[in-house]
Amino acid sequence: MLDSNVSVLKLRGILFVTVPAEPGDDLINHLQQKILESMEQHEAKGLILDISTVSALDSFFARTIVETAQMVGLMGGRTVISGMRPEVAITATQLGLSLGNILTALNMDRALDMLEGLEEEEWDR
Amino acid sequence: MRDSYPSSSPPDQKGRAVLPDGTTHIDGEDDIVYVRKQVRDLASGIGFNLTDVTRIITAASELARNIYRYAGKGRMKYAVLHQRGAVGIELEFQDEGPGIADIPQAMEPGYTTSRGLGLGLPGSKRMMDEFHVWSEVGKGTIVTIRKWKRNN
Repeated sequence: MLDSNVSVLKLRGILFVTVPAEPGDDLINHLQQKILESMEQHEAKGLILDISTVSALDSFFARTIVETAQMVGLMGGRTVISGMRPEVAITATQLGLSLGNILTALNMDRALDMLEGLEEEEWDR
Repeated sequence: MRDSYPSSSPPDQKGRAVLPDGTTHIDGEDDIVYVRKQVRDLASGIGFNLTDVTRIITAASELARNIYRYAGKGRMKYAVLHQRGAVGIELEFQDEGPGIADIPQAMEPGYTTSRGLGLGLPGSKRMMDEFHVWSEVGKGTIVTIRKWKRNN
C-alpha cells in the first residue's frame, strides 16, 4: 500500500526520488528502505532526493534524510537534496536543523549537474 | 485567561469565516500528519503569510510528535485569538504522560531523553511569539504556543 506512494526512477546511474508532499513517519521510513534497496539493485552511483513538494520539514524528517544520505554514502553513492522551498529553509534554520555535509541544489537540474561534475572530478584524479 | 471567543470565532477582516475552536486527539503517528494539515488550514485561513504558516506547522509537528513519543497519546486544542484588533492562533498540546523533570534542561537545544534531535521544544519556542510549558512528573505536560499575525 505504501509502495504506490513512492517512485524511484533510475537514469544514467542516478536514482531520482521525489518525496511526497505530506509524508507520515511510516512513509519516510519506507522511502529510506526503498532507496537503499534500489541503490543495490540498480548499482546506482548517486541519489537525487527532491523535496520541492514538502511544505514543512520537522526534526524527525530531517534526521531521516541525513541518515539516508549517510547510508547511501556507505554504499558508495553521493546524495544531493534538491528543491527546498524558501519558507522551509527559513524554518529549518530557525529550528536549528542541519543537513550536515549533504550536498544541496536549488532544483533537480542543478543537482544532476553537481553529481555529474563530481564524477568528472573523480575521473581527473 | 485568554482573550478569545470560545465557541465560534467571528469572521476575519476580509469577512471570511475562520475555523471554530476545537480539539484534535493524538493517538498515533498518522495523527501527526493530521495535526499538520489541520494547523495549515487554520493558519492559512486566518491569513498568516507562507513563512509563518510553515513555522506554525513545524512547531505543531514537533510538539505533536513529543506527545506521541513520550506520552503515547494526548490532544491538541486550537483557538483563534482576537485581542485589541490583532488576530492570532493558540495551540495547546496536552498529555497525561510521564511529565518533564527538568524543564530548563528540556529547553536546551540538543537535550533529549529519546532518540530525537532535542530540537522540538527550543525550536518551537524560537518559531512562535509566545511559548509556555507546564509539567509535573507523573501527571503530564501542557505546552501552549501562540503566534500573532503581522500587519504587513
